[in-house]
Amino acid sequence: MKRISIDPITRLEGHGKIEIFLADDGSVANAYFQVPELRGFEKFVEGMPIEEVPRVVSRICGV
Amino acid sequence: MAKLKLASYWAAACGGCDVAILDVHEKILDIAAAADIVFWPIATDFKYRDVEAMPDANIDVTLFHGAVRNSENEHLAHLLREKSKVLVAFGSCAHIGGIPGLANLFTREEIFKRVYGESPSTVNPEKVEPQAKVTMPEGEITIPEFYDTVKSLNQVVEVDYYVPGCPPTPKQIWNVVQAIVNGQLPAKGTVIGASEKTQCDECQRKKQEKKITGFKRIATAQPDPDTCFLEQGFLCMGPVTRGGCDTRCQLSGVPCRGCYGPPPGVLDQGAKALSAIASVIEAKEEADVQRIIDEIPDPLRSFNRFGIPASLIKRKVL
Repeated sequence: MKRISIDPITRLEGHGKIEIFLADDGSVANAYFQVPELRGFEKFVEGMPIEEVPRVVSRICGV
Repeated sequence: MAKLKLASYWAAACGGCDVAILDVHEKILDIAAAADIVFWPIATDFKYRDVEAMPDANIDVTLFHGAVRNSENEHLAHLLREKSKVLVAFGSCAHIGGIPGLANLFTREEIFKRVYGESPSTVNPEKVEPQAKVTMPEGEITIPEFYDTVKSLNQVVEVDYYVPGCPPTPKQIWNVVQAIVNGQLPAKGTVIGASEKTQCDECQRKKQEKKITGFKRIATAQPDPDTCFLEQGFLCMGPVTRGGCDTRCQLSGVPCRGCYGPPPGVLDQGAKALSAIASVIEAKEEADVQRIIDEIPDPLRSFNRFGIPASLIKRKVL
């Protein structure tokens, strides 16, 4: 099956890629949007003093 | 003279470094006049294959932001090293690991369990976790391998210069751009876009002799706006942090958390913080020492907020 990879997707905040699979007649059989990144804020802010949390989670997205 | 070729890339990053570059405002036009952007995912539509197709050393300068957290970050670090004459670790994450480096206090399994299982907003009864390769009916699709350990850029490839800060200030970015454009970069391996002093040397708050008899938190006590945070008992990383940011946090009413990394001559910022705090604690009895130490809020993540990967401990023992 023919495949079109868009890697990376651009002009937005964050990382992403799109895989498009084409059927024999050229129509789109399926497409997958993938987010290839994780940093784990959900874990590493656990137990942190509450006044420090905004100073850390503001680095989830700086855009 | 041919125009310079510039690239800017984010690995495990938040995009704040890219926005800080844009925060030079109208001077971005001067950058555009002096240099062609050949790769910059936040702002231009070049793909990884475009970079792969370049001859080696084709890019004059790459500003690399973000930590190395997964196999894609590592691949891009090697690729951009190969394609760049000068590779700059730009911002705290590339410089010393940054906020993503806090994940080194946990294992990959602990992070996955929390993110994809336990977090209150997650519904995942089948307990699906990310897989580097998945076979779908149409074919195989892949995502990068999530590493156990976050690394700074120089733990993966050779780095020519370091620009500290989370993010670097636009004023310092402009200084760095001018040095690049005018061919005035110093010796390789240098920290640029910062000062050679500490935050305390540049902080305008009134300082006397430091004698700490207890620690306070800004959540529960009001700091005096004109006096040194540390003297008031609020933990501040100023004594062990490189200057150059114009003490923007202290001027905003919050203590320094160390994003500009260790000052010249200091190997481990967190260890130096421990040593600096120990030397100003004022206590006569051992019990008082213990009480004061116990009052330090979250010491591990406060002393090493931005630099766990570059510290001597590097990560939690696996």
